[in-house]
Amino acid sequence: MTQATKQVRAFCLNGRAQEVLVADNVLLLDTLREALGLTGTKRGCDGGECGACTVLIDGTPRLACLTRTQECDGHGVETIEGLAENGRMSRLQRAFHERLGTQCGYCTPGMVMAADGLLRRNPDPSVAEIRAALAGNICRCTGYVKIIEAIQDAARGAP
Amino acid sequence: MTAMRNTREVVGQPTPLIDGIEKVTGQAKYTADLPAAGALVGRILRSPFSHARILAIDTSAARALPGVHAVVTGDDCAFTYGVLPIAMNEYPLAREIVRYRGEPVAAVAAEDEATAAEAMRLIRLEVEELPAYYTAEAARAPDAVPLHANKPGNIERAVHHRFGDVEAGFAAADLVREQVYRCAEIAHGQMELNGALVAYDTARDHLTIWSTTQVPYYVHLMLARCLDMDMSRIRVVKPFVGGGFGARVETLNFEIIAALLARAAGGRVRLLLSREETFLTHRGRPETEVRLKLGMTRAGRLTACACEVVQRGGAYAGYGIVTILYAGSLLQGLYDIPAIAYDGWRVYANLPPCGAMRGHGSVDVRFAFEALLDSMAGEAGLDPFAVRRQNLLSAPTETQNGLRVESYGLGECLDWVERASGWTARRGRLEPGRGLGMACSHYVSGAAKPIHWTGEPHAVVHLRLDFDGGITLLTGAADIGQGSSTVMAQAAAEVLGIRLDRVRVVAADSMLTPKDNGSYSSRVTFMVGNATIDAARALRAQLLAAAAEPLGVPADTIECEHETFRHIGDDGPGLPFADVARAALAREGGAITAKGSFTCPVEFQGGKHKGGAVGSTMGFSYAAQVVEVAVDIDTGMVTVEQVWVAQDCGFAINPLAVEGQMQGAVWMGMGQAIGEETRYERGLALHGSLLDYRVPSIVESPPIALHIVESIDPNGPFGAKEASEGALAGFLPALVNAIADAIGLRLETLPVTPDRLLEALAVRRREQRLARELAREQTHAQEGVA
Amino acid sequence: MELLPPFHVATPGSIAAAVAAGRHQEASRFIAGGTDLMVNLRHGLGDPAALIDLRGIPELRHVGTTGPDGLVIGAAVTLAELAEHPTVATRYPAIAAAATAVGAPAHRAAGTVGGNLCLDTRCIFYNRSAWWREANGFCLKYQGDTCHVAPTGKRCHAAFSGDLAPALLAHAAEIDIAGPDGLRRQPLAALYAEDGAAHLRLAAGEFLVRVIVAADPWPAAYAKARARGAIDFPLAGVAVALRRSGDDVDGLRVALTGTNARPFLLEGTEGLLGAPVSPAWLDRLGRLVQKQVSPMRTTLLAAQYRRRVAAALAQRLAATLGGAAVVGDAA
Repeated sequence: MTQATKQVRAFCLNGRAQEVLVADNVLLLDTLREALGLTGTKRGCDGGECGACTVLIDGTPRLACLTRTQECDGHGVETIEGLAENGRMSRLQRAFHERLGTQCGYCTPGMVMAADGLLRRNPDPSVAEIRAALAGNICRCTGYVKIIEAIQDAARGAP
Repeated sequence: MTAMRNTREVVGQPTPLIDGIEKVTGQAKYTADLPAAGALVGRILRSPFSHARILAIDTSAARALPGVHAVVTGDDCAFTYGVLPIAMNEYPLAREIVRYRGEPVAAVAAEDEATAAEAMRLIRLEVEELPAYYTAEAARAPDAVPLHANKPGNIERAVHHRFGDVEAGFAAADLVREQVYRCAEIAHGQMELNGALVAYDTARDHLTIWSTTQVPYYVHLMLARCLDMDMSRIRVVKPFVGGGFGARVETLNFEIIAALLARAAGGRVRLLLSREETFLTHRGRPETEVRLKLGMTRAGRLTACACEVVQRGGAYAGYGIVTILYAGSLLQGLYDIPAIAYDGWRVYANLPPCGAMRGHGSVDVRFAFEALLDSMAGEAGLDPFAVRRQNLLSAPTETQNGLRVESYGLGECLDWVERASGWTARRGRLEPGRGLGMACSHYVSGAAKPIHWTGEPHAVVHLRLDFDGGITLLTGAADIGQGSSTVMAQAAAEVLGIRLDRVRVVAADSMLTPKDNGSYSSRVTFMVGNATIDAARALRAQLLAAAAEPLGVPADTIECEHETFRHIGDDGPGLPFADVARAALAREGGAITAKGSFTCPVEFQGGKHKGGAVGSTMGFSYAAQVVEVAVDIDTGMVTVEQVWVAQDCGFAINPLAVEGQMQGAVWMGMGQAIGEETRYERGLALHGSLLDYRVPSIVESPPIALHIVESIDPNGPFGAKEASEGALAGFLPALVNAIADAIGLRLETLPVTPDRLLEALAVRRREQRLARELAREQTHAQEGVA
Repeated sequence: MELLPPFHVATPGSIAAAVAAGRHQEASRFIAGGTDLMVNLRHGLGDPAALIDLRGIPELRHVGTTGPDGLVIGAAVTLAELAEHPTVATRYPAIAAAATAVGAPAHRAAGTVGGNLCLDTRCIFYNRSAWWREANGFCLKYQGDTCHVAPTGKRCHAAFSGDLAPALLAHAAEIDIAGPDGLRRQPLAALYAEDGAAHLRLAAGEFLVRVIVAADPWPAAYAKARARGAIDFPLAGVAVALRRSGDDVDGLRVALTGTNARPFLLEGTEGLLGAPVSPAWLDRLGRLVQKQVSPMRTTLLAAQYRRRVAAALAQRLAATLGGAAVVGDAA
């Protein structure tokens, strides 16, 4: 099996400069999880089906399972691990926790990142806008009801 | 068990999950997230054949490949496994015969993915193909080759139960109707992919497994059996688990295979399955055909029920015998039915094995029952709610098949959903294409008779108090996202009168925690909850004894509230928890471990007939729901606009989690009703992705309004019963009943996909046209005669 | 870790450099957002030595609205950018709707116009893991010699499943293609062939540069049938562009996707001109659609459904655009 040559790729990861030595055919999902130990980003399918690996690239929700690490060179990548500031949950994370927007928690990082991407563009989304923004994030536990409530809570700035 | 106090501080309060912060911050470690530096990569070679005799498996080239550390085949494990002691007929790696496409035949442990993949390509499998059967009908054909030599006709289990005088019941009915209903096979679709990490210590002959399981104890049992190891040399740890819904309530082949690989390689192996492989591991709800006949009086009173069920169970036994028994036994326990005949057949076929799934065994039969009841109500000119009310049970009671009903809040559930949905005012008055449908359902709070009878209690909990004043709750119960650890912590804190965050839960690590049978059949809140109360009472007794001396009053006159011990009725400063804890540690000679347990009494363990234990429970949950749909007859699309659901869960220890469970259950029922189904092409799974297996997205998922009914079960912890499964089954019939209300079309096949709906409309139109033409001809003919 | 072929990625900064890269690379594939190609590569569908990422070419990243050509859409513009572009959103609602109908937001943030137009065809026997396809004896489209959809035939029936193509076809869009022989402009419709294994008429080293849509579009709309409210590819997708003169229809283009190996413009619509949209008119339209679509067993939902729903959606859109109040039952 021929090995692809590796190159140094540099990007901003959760606000910090990050360099990785990586071949062109390595997915961002694998770089995050296996090389960088950021296992908050989940694998839930065989490619683009479930949204569990949603991260933000330059502030926009993207699927780490379809993104090559090489593509991120020079860009900003944010994962679930980057949302809490000084160990304090973000308002959105707190709302997901307190409103039970998470049950088993496996879809949660992707769900939270997709919701975070939405709230940055649209701080006061309607239910329809929430549904549209999370359309690619499958949750098997909640029926989505409390996820929607959590995002509304976070948007309203509820404590 | 009776309630502790009149005022409740911790239980009954909506409580975020005690492990929720890890989940929302990405810190929660699931099996695939565990540090695995240096672990070998495991991979499974799967059979491309549906049914074949294995002539040879040549692994020599794979073994010779540099970087391959172990290759295992069926030759490496001669032990069968299975969840039911009477039906262990599966090998972790096929021996002699493969019985479905996707069955593991070999596995490798290699240094990296590429090497493992190359090793897969180098393994040669030589077989002689056998006839394969993909439907229950084909497998039951007279000339069909049995999949298992000891099961002629491919019947895994036939059940024939008779309760009451069925003939007399039908004779007494004013309306008797019979209908066949069909439900596609479905899968759990839990978000976390299957996987295991195994560390084998050759020097000590010790094995540790971290796995995606709901039943760490059963995994422990089967690993000991299949690896022929003493149980004390095995440690089973359940990390965070990303959902289960029944997919993980038995030991699965990949867990044993990972262990076999780790031992063969003498090290660590990580075996992570793809989404397709997770679907192939399966254990879902079987394809089911239900032939149902009901008798009813003019007033809507049920007189008799005859039900035939055929389940296509896949290639191996798994839970199959239990599933076909549940399908019959849970005809009872919801309504008062004077006579019931049940005939069930569980059939082998060359497909991935089915298993237990949320609402185990009861769902497809409940769909048939509530759909037929709705249709008959319509025919009799009765309101569907009125018909249900005609047939309510009255607790306490015992059903004809020996199921005890101690609390029964179905009537209240009916009242609430009828009112909340505006049923009376709105039904029949909605715009064209819109409709309302309703249905009821129920489920057990744990099987009262355990699968593995050892004489031990059904649940054991340890509470430990040590120098830091923290209470450590040790339980084998597997929190898979349902929030069981939170419920246990609440129960302990409530009994002890302490803050919730003083309780820390250590769950499901066999090295530390007492045995628990696992998270299935909604047993944990009821059984482990009661064991927790028992343990907390024992610890409280020791704390009260320690407080008696400094307070100068007898222990039985002391209470602890808000972490302060006081003589009952005294409103002085009292003694803080920390002081009493110190005194107790000194008095008891250091760290205190209090043990609590719970056992379902034998009188709750079901009828004396064969299979009578299945369905038995100490408490049934009850649910009623109303579904509102909009049907687009041009595109066949059904939109679920809104659901109203009420559930009697006895008492909601954590109302927040109960709401989440109810919504999740209703929604999962919706998935089965409108879109989910497995599909096979000559035994090859066509549904092996989340594109092809259509778990609903947020876009088509409806608002779900709910109401919790608290009937306070006399035996439940604080009165609690299950809350996770009972509301699922009702959605399916409520949906087809709503469609019937919307467009006058009664559907008997699930799921109601748009293609099926358009086809059913086309058939109806053809039939109507023929009927019109026939009528015209008859008119002509009559005119001719005249 | 997910095992992908050991490709390397080239990132040309100009059309000329991309053409050169395509000429120099054996077994290379052009890529942009990768939402289709990366999934296929993960499934072992293809083994390119090199990917040529077109997103670094400035001309491909731009939506232009001011030139003489009308609307000019760079091939590497993402579907999200296209849908949100103010001119597209207001003046070309069918195009915006089609772009928004693709996948889910994260797919649209990465997926591009060129990628959606050049989407690989799909089939339940093709979009499978390597293990699955091998167990099934592979298929005519890739590595095998039998089409499991129509085993006696010689042609691949995999269905084109892009949403954007019908909306652009309904606007009579043109495309620019770059390649070793330079730049050429042609109707979008000429890009496609009715062969699931070779549905794109692109020579080796050629790639899509831009799409050109006339400045004064007919009123148009796009509708898609799919099982779920998101994520899914179209079971059938229909775009209708309809211009009226008084009550009469005097311009009509109907384009379809999801039903055939290529997206295509419905033929014979001129017979529907010069009359108002009426139930009878819609009935004729429905029959035209049902006659020309040829859905095969390439999806899990029934082929017959896709035929029925394609007609129903065409009628519904035409009724709305034509101002008719009622739609017949299509089935």
